Amino acid sequence: MDFAGALQNPDQGWMQRYDVLKELGDCYASVGEYDNARRCYEQASWLEPDEAGPYVGTGVIELQQGRLEDAELAFRVALRLDGCSSRAYAGLAMIAQQCGRLQQAFDYYLKSLELDSNHLTALLGLFQVSCQMGTFSQVIHYLQIYLQVHPADTAVMFCLAALYAKEGRIQRAKDLLKDILALEPGHEDARQLLEEMEHKAMQKGGYSL
Amino acid sequence: MTAKRSQHGPLVSVLISTYNRPQYLEEALESIFAQTWPHLQVVLVRDGGAAVEDVVRRFSDRRLTFINRSENRGLPYSFNEALAHARGEYICYLGDDDKFYPHHVQRLVEAIQSQDRCGAVYSDLYKVHCRLKPDGRRIVLAKNLEISRDFDRMLMLQFNHVLHVSVLHRKDLLERAGGYNEKLNVLIDWDLNRKLCFYTDFLHIPEITGEYYGPVGECDRISVQRRKNVKDYLRNVLTIRTTRPPKPWPCIEDLSVLILAERLDESLEQTLRDLWSHTFYPQQIYVPLSREEAAGWKPAVPNVIPVLVEPQSPLEQRIDRMLAVCEGTYAALVPTGLPVEMDEVAWLERSLQPLLMCRRPNQAFELAEATDSRWGAVFRKSELEYARRQFNHLPLRRAVEAAGICIRKPAFEEYPFQFDHFLAAAEQKQQEGDWVYAAKVYEYLAEHFGNELWMRTRQAHALEQAGRLAEARETLEQVQAVRPTVSSLLIAARICQKQKNYRQAIDFYEQARMVLETRDRCRRIVSPARRKTSWKPASDEPAMVS
Repeated sequence: MDFAGALQNPDQGWMQRYDVLKELGDCYASVGEYDNARRCYEQASWLEPDEAGPYVGTGVIELQQGRLEDAELAFRVALRLDGCSSRAYAGLAMIAQQCGRLQQAFDYYLKSLELDSNHLTALLGLFQVSCQMGTFSQVIHYLQIYLQVHPADTAVMFCLAALYAKEGRIQRAKDLLKDILALEPGHEDARQLLEEMEHKAMQKGGYSL
Repeated sequence: MTAKRSQHGPLVSVLISTYNRPQYLEEALESIFAQTWPHLQVVLVRDGGAAVEDVVRRFSDRRLTFINRSENRGLPYSFNEALAHARGEYICYLGDDDKFYPHHVQRLVEAIQSQDRCGAVYSDLYKVHCRLKPDGRRIVLAKNLEISRDFDRMLMLQFNHVLHVSVLHRKDLLERAGGYNEKLNVLIDWDLNRKLCFYTDFLHIPEITGEYYGPVGECDRISVQRRKNVKDYLRNVLTIRTTRPPKPWPCIEDLSVLILAERLDESLEQTLRDLWSHTFYPQQIYVPLSREEAAGWKPAVPNVIPVLVEPQSPLEQRIDRMLAVCEGTYAALVPTGLPVEMDEVAWLERSLQPLLMCRRPNQAFELAEATDSRWGAVFRKSELEYARRQFNHLPLRRAVEAAGICIRKPAFEEYPFQFDHFLAAAEQKQQEGDWVYAAKVYEYLAEHFGNELWMRTRQAHALEQAGRLAEARETLEQVQAVRPTVSSLLIAARICQKQKNYRQAIDFYEQARMVLETRDRCRRIVSPARRKTSWKPASDEPAMVS
């Protein structure tokens, strides 16, 4: 969410109507009411034609409906209006990923994270693409940065633990998995990965927890 | 003119002055004639500028008095002219580009009649930020409650916090205060409110009953343009601050400032200028001068009264002379040559405020900058007189001590405008990203300084920004139960959105959108018979989703 007026006092500023329409568009998109969402974005961009937010929102709903060309167009307009739109880069990355252009997707995700290291969608997208491409060093860096700000995000912790395991950094992977289980005892994926690692360690040379 | 009361209740005169804004006047007038309070008199003054006869003709209503003047004489003149025609027991005002909601007058009349203490009441108004189209139409961008402040007399003396359009007051109070000051060209609403507060308390009704418009970007409003002339603006501010309406003042106790000067020199002149620009409490300044000094001397600031003393006479004798003639309930002894910070706004008031608040007798407060060599303080005049009378053989400070007057410097917590100090601190914390701390300050303010809905909204916003969503929601519910606003609806929506409760977020956002896009709330209940023209929606504005 990128509220234009979020940081100012609630009784000040003049972007209120734009904020309402843009956020309403995002909410309608979140519940699958794409026509309502599109109308809200149109009205928001009519009010503030230089704002990128409504174009990003439009891109997202086009993407969700599988209209990749329209989505790409919307994201590119958004980037023309705001060259620092992390969400627009993430959108372009998702399109590239869906089209199998993995290197381009990787680059766009990376750009998105450079602009906003807290962008979870970009982070998880980068993780997926990295897995597909077999290159992990950069994604580990961004996962670590993200966890500095969101230390209890077990989904991201699990991704990082999996990457540590894949890179052979066993102890760090196990520590992280134990942290996940402390935070979320029912995290089955973490439990299974930890058990798998224990099992392998036992087979290799009697290592125990 | 006599105020009329009928079976419909008291007559309310709504005064409206128009200058070069015929395109908005119709909406403004419609909002008056759509009032649920029927017993109205509308006095419309054309203060020169564009012709408005066509607009007026559309309202063939006997309650309308139209003064069609081609010469532009300014707002204060126009309101005085309108006042001369007003027959109502109560007066209220509307800008020619502003709007009342239909219950505005009724709500304020009910409030003023429900009690005896306050002869003036006021409500809250949305400030509508809008963008002007080339044809003059207004695109609404935001509706903010920028001012929703409980009445504070000390603050009113220092600056305005009550919007002109939101006020309804007894007509006789303004007559007593002498009407509008025609020498002013900005801040006339503050001048009005300030003068009224000498005679009455104001009652704040924290309910939104209208809208005033503010175009974003370059604004052609006369009041905005005039504020750009800093020198002229300051002249207006100082004129208002030094205005002393006719006595008796039932609600304000006068302050006499006694200058501790040995001669007429530049240091004394500078002290007078400092008093003029760094204080605001109603005062008269007494200056001890010899006959030679007084001859031909013209003080550069208002409200100065020379008091004749013997040349070279001792300080105590000069004080006694001034005490003998001054009128104030309070007396401030001010030495010359005392330094004042450039941005100081309450130089004497920092010492006066604790005295005004203090119920115990024999208390006095030194000026914060006072030293042994340049000593000054604020007293109850009767107590200072007693000290001088009983111990006139002693030097001033010894006499004060001998009379048992406890004297000290005020603590910061005793200064006026504590609410504003805390508010500034909370805003500073917000800027630093410490939203939790800011929320605590807002909570403290809501609990101890009034302005509850305003502060609770700020508190909820801060909690939401801090990610403490459950607390934010709980706080906000207190506000929403009394007075939901666009801002509070937005905060509620954001909380839901962060909690991924999108359906409820949509509900709040749609409510906010409805308020923002309801351009003609007042028109809904205008009877078809009374409406002469139909409203044409802006054709290039996209249709909104219902």
